[in-house]
Amino acid sequence: MAEKSLKTVSESGSSSGRGTGLVNYYWQRIRRNKLAVAGLAFIVFLVALAIIGPLFTSDPTAANFDEKDIPPIGFTYLQSAYNIQTDQITTKEIHGTPKHILGTDSKGTDMLAMLISGARISLLVGLIATGIAIILGTIIGVLSAYLGGWADNILMRFTDIMMTFPFFLLLVLIVFVFGPSLAIIVLVIGLTGWTGTARMIRSEALSLRTREFVVASKALGARDSRVVFRHLIPNVISLITIMATLAIPGVILAEAGLSFIGLGDPNRASWGIILQSGWRTMRTLWWVAVEPGIMLFLTVLAFNFLGDGLRDAFDPKSNV
Amino acid sequence: MGKSWLRDYIIKRLIYAVIIAFGILTITFILLRVGPNSPADKYLANIAAHGGDPAQVQAAIEARYGLDKPIYVQYFEYMGNLFRGNLGWSFSTSMPVIELIKTHWIYSFQLILLASIFAAILGTLIGIYSAVRQYTKADYAFTFLSFMGISIPTFWLGIMLILVFSVKLGIFNVYYDTTLPLFSLENLKALVLPVITLGTGMLAGYVRYTRSNMLDNLKKAFVTTARAKGLPERTVIGKHVFRNALLPLVTIVMFDLGSIVFGGAYLTEYVFGIPGLGQISFNAVFANDYPVVVAVTLISTFVVLLVNLATDVSYTYLDPRIRYG
Repeated sequence: MAEKSLKTVSESGSSSGRGTGLVNYYWQRIRRNKLAVAGLAFIVFLVALAIIGPLFTSDPTAANFDEKDIPPIGFTYLQSAYNIQTDQITTKEIHGTPKHILGTDSKGTDMLAMLISGARISLLVGLIATGIAIILGTIIGVLSAYLGGWADNILMRFTDIMMTFPFFLLLVLIVFVFGPSLAIIVLVIGLTGWTGTARMIRSEALSLRTREFVVASKALGARDSRVVFRHLIPNVISLITIMATLAIPGVILAEAGLSFIGLGDPNRASWGIILQSGWRTMRTLWWVAVEPGIMLFLTVLAFNFLGDGLRDAFDPKSNV
Repeated sequence: MGKSWLRDYIIKRLIYAVIIAFGILTITFILLRVGPNSPADKYLANIAAHGGDPAQVQAAIEARYGLDKPIYVQYFEYMGNLFRGNLGWSFSTSMPVIELIKTHWIYSFQLILLASIFAAILGTLIGIYSAVRQYTKADYAFTFLSFMGISIPTFWLGIMLILVFSVKLGIFNVYYDTTLPLFSLENLKALVLPVITLGTGMLAGYVRYTRSNMLDNLKKAFVTTARAKGLPERTVIGKHVFRNALLPLVTIVMFDLGSIVFGGAYLTEYVFGIPGLGQISFNAVFANDYPVVVAVTLISTFVVLLVNLATDVSYTYLDPRIRYG
């Protein structure tokens, strides 16, 4: 009996075995959620497209007026032009071609190339800004819980103040003041989006501090830093993963919204900027307005499906 | 002990709100002073472009706007002006910012109000239906649709609605007609697409919250008791489950105001050309009219602050169990 229990302890004690077991267990739970798997598949596809796509497409900034106004393959567009010499309006049927599967815009730039370049920007902004926000939120939350007293009070009141600002209007103000560049946008979203994480981590840290295993490790002489890195962070890592996954779509939409109203980086073809030019020509070149929106919609949907699936998988109470 | 705890609580909340208000104003002040595009630079760029002497112009501007004074004097003047309701001068429209806001706020207000009503009523009804019919085809369909609703970009939804209902079918005008009287059927018709645009995301959120809250409450012991007493199912759902699910929904509706609704309204106004606060802020951004941009952000923030305060206080009435120390 004693021998057996000893063996169990040593087995579960090997960290690598436990790690893969746990990952495997969660993966089995996620796999049962078809929507989450579909979301993950789309994200993987998008990442692959963003990395290797530009190798196969034309320059997403190059204008070619000989090939402008081409609709997506399978569609026909009636292009009208005014001829000043004959004073007549001539119309011409333009058919979609396999060379430009998703068509071209009013400058003759390939839509597929622009959308792939937009995927790069959206994913980059989404991942980096969310990363900054989550790290900052974790640091502030842990500090608040461990310092306590007036430091906790000041940090939490500061969090309240930041939470009161309507997110998008604060972004508009800051980008207006500092000027629109991709680096500024990423930094601003990251530096303003940490509030939810900070509150969550703080309350988790406060409740974990009173749990037996934390009290025990403190009684054994563990320092605060050890408690934070060995007990607190591993215990909230699943919550952080869920929060990050569900925060990414908000960040992607915020960047697209800023670009759409003209506060985006003018040097990059992000989905919001394509959508802005598509909006201007929507009565004729409808596909330029439709396509970037579909990409945005699917990307946000994919992250929401995955985030929801992760939440169910990490929640021991839920029956997947 | 009466209601004295409530009065103390409200006073405490008010003091707290004042502290937050100071924080908001201070952060905005710091932001404007550390930014590279300070107001003086923006005026300077404008005037230098018209052949003025930059140094002279700069000195004049700094004197006029008090930028030559020490930073703490500037800070107190900025605070003092805001307290007197002086939000500055909009030079792109040549009128006080406060006047500009007085003429335009109603357009944002009507849009946000109608969208909130639309989303809250429909969202609650669908949420209840979904919860009561859990795991039926209808429930799955609504759950899937609500996922689509929270994921669809507001501004793109607006463009798609215009493309289909205005450009293709010709049912609605492409742009909002600003000459319409506010309280008229024509105005209501003009607001149909904007309200759907802004309301869809909110609606989908409310469906999800109502559904999960209802499901949580359906499992509670008091529901079993109510059913065991022989109460009709309609009473059990309506009185016991729904009332308990309503309270968290109030918080969500209020919380959404800052995180989703104001941003969504900004973009919706931009897409449909509604002359609300979002539109004047947008125009001001491109006219470098910084007092207007700041004023719109500050006013929206203060609306959120007041609504949060009102929510907290109204909670004590909505739920007699809540007592704050």
